[in-house]
Amino acid sequence: MRTTTAATSRPYLGYGLGLRTEHYESVLRQRPAVDWFEIISENYMVGGGKALHFLERIRADYPMVMHGVSLSIGGSDTLNEDYLRELKTLAARVEPEWISDHLCWTGVEGYNMHDLLPLPYTEEAVRHVAERVCRVQDFLGRQILLENVSSYLSYDCSHMPEWEFLAAVARRADCLILLDINNVYVSSHNHRFDPHDYLNALPAERVRQFHLAGHTHSGEIIVDTHDQAVIDPVWKLYASAVRRFGMVSTMIERDDNIPPLDDLLAELEQARTIAAPILKSLVA
Amino acid sequence: MRLRVLQRQFQNALLGGDRQLLTHVAPTPGADAEQRIDIYAQAYRLRLQEALEVDFPKLRTLLGTDPFDELAQAYIERHPSQQPSLRWFGRHMAAFLTQAAPWSAQPALGELAAFEWAQGEVFDAPDADTVAVAEIAEISPQEWPRLHFQPHPSLRRLDLYWNVVAVWQALDNGEAPPPLLAATKAQAWLLWRRQLSIHWRSLGVEECWALDAWRRGASFGEICEGLCEWVAPEQVPVHAASLLKSWVDARLISVLVGG
Ligand SMILES: [Fe+2]
Repeated sequence: MRTTTAATSRPYLGYGLGLRTEHYESVLRQRPAVDWFEIISENYMVGGGKALHFLERIRADYPMVMHGVSLSIGGSDTLNEDYLRELKTLAARVEPEWISDHLCWTGVEGYNMHDLLPLPYTEEAVRHVAERVCRVQDFLGRQILLENVSSYLSYDCSHMPEWEFLAAVARRADCLILLDINNVYVSSHNHRFDPHDYLNALPAERVRQFHLAGHTHSGEIIVDTHDQAVIDPVWKLYASAVRRFGMVSTMIERDDNIPPLDDLLAELEQARTIAAPILKSLVA
Repeated sequence: MRLRVLQRQFQNALLGGDRQLLTHVAPTPGADAEQRIDIYAQAYRLRLQEALEVDFPKLRTLLGTDPFDELAQAYIERHPSQQPSLRWFGRHMAAFLTQAAPWSAQPALGELAAFEWAQGEVFDAPDADTVAVAEIAEISPQEWPRLHFQPHPSLRRLDLYWNVVAVWQALDNGEAPPPLLAATKAQAWLLWRRQLSIHWRSLGVEECWALDAWRRGASFGEICEGLCEWVAPEQVPVHAASLLKSWVDARLISVLVGG
């Protein structure tokens, strides 16, 4: 299943979905034509029972990647070693193609806000995050992917755009990038920048995975809710991203208002349909 | 601006409406700093509240949605999350309900929360193989007295004064719950997982004693001795053996340790 794209020798999994509890049974019954699944790591950091039972059965048939929400790579507490150990234990069980989390922080002084909170885009933060990424990568014995998050505010102390910050962290820590196309779109709206500037500024060889998702408008601000279908402007941005980055493993991320599996399969088919001619033209 | 200071101020804005963060938000068209912080603050409360709704669905039905929201907000303020996973966020709810007014005036609420939380613990407790009846049959008579057994990791015990299990069951069936009633003595309950499904049943006094003794590490011989308080001595071996068999049948025992 795992292939390598010629241009960048980047591992490529194809088209995937986020694995959700609601779909466990349908996945086993239908064996859908999904190339791979992404799991939320924290959901499987439990002793046993249903989640691990289905994880094992589905893993037997599909490649997987692990996606975490609590690493708090930009947090100013020390790294949570218990969490890292649990992550490593889960990785030994799942044998994921790769492990990702978000370029954000989730809390300080031992608290967890359970949100992907924005970082200031400063040299101090680049150094801080990159140094922590290195330690995580050393501990896990592998490179990790960091995902750009949607954000609703920016700080007056930031002195570089988000894309420069992400690129700087990735280069300094020698880590990879999970590019969430919807998050680029959402943040470009909320902070009034051109999303193409974002795509153009990233080091292409480090982009390993795409997320696609839907969102909700809340007045003038777009909130990244993952509870809707992917909208047209995001599909267009996805096409631009495929043109820019080539073959990158792509998945639909739906976390709320979860529709039947077939609806998500249809959405994933749309991604294939959009990417196929572009990829063909890139090869030609 | 030091990262840590900024993060502390941001967190304080979420936890308690602290306004220091306001001065550090860059002006951007579309929404002012207050509105932007508010998106995070609202999302924070909503997300934690949703986690409680998932863990305490019948408590929510019994209280009604608005009173439950009030409870959730009070709980969120009292017990901010300190875990990587939201899975554990509600773990103080039963204790909170028994301690915090006005909920503490209705002790049944704390018991219902304890029952729902125990179900969650049973649901994703570690897996373990269980002992089959055939394995018991292989044990020689002289080994029996010194036999110890290890419970399945999902096993939980609750002592409940209120009829919250009946209330839970009625609500789960979509029926009107019976009126809340308290007994003068607590009823012992046992919860456990069998394959992937959660089971529970009430326990008689002597079975409850035997089960608790077993979980404390008592041997089969010691359990037999203790059962003499309720059962005639000549009937104790048969009685204890039938208890053990029912536990094995229910898949409660994961390891037998010989004498
Ligand atoms: Fe994402």
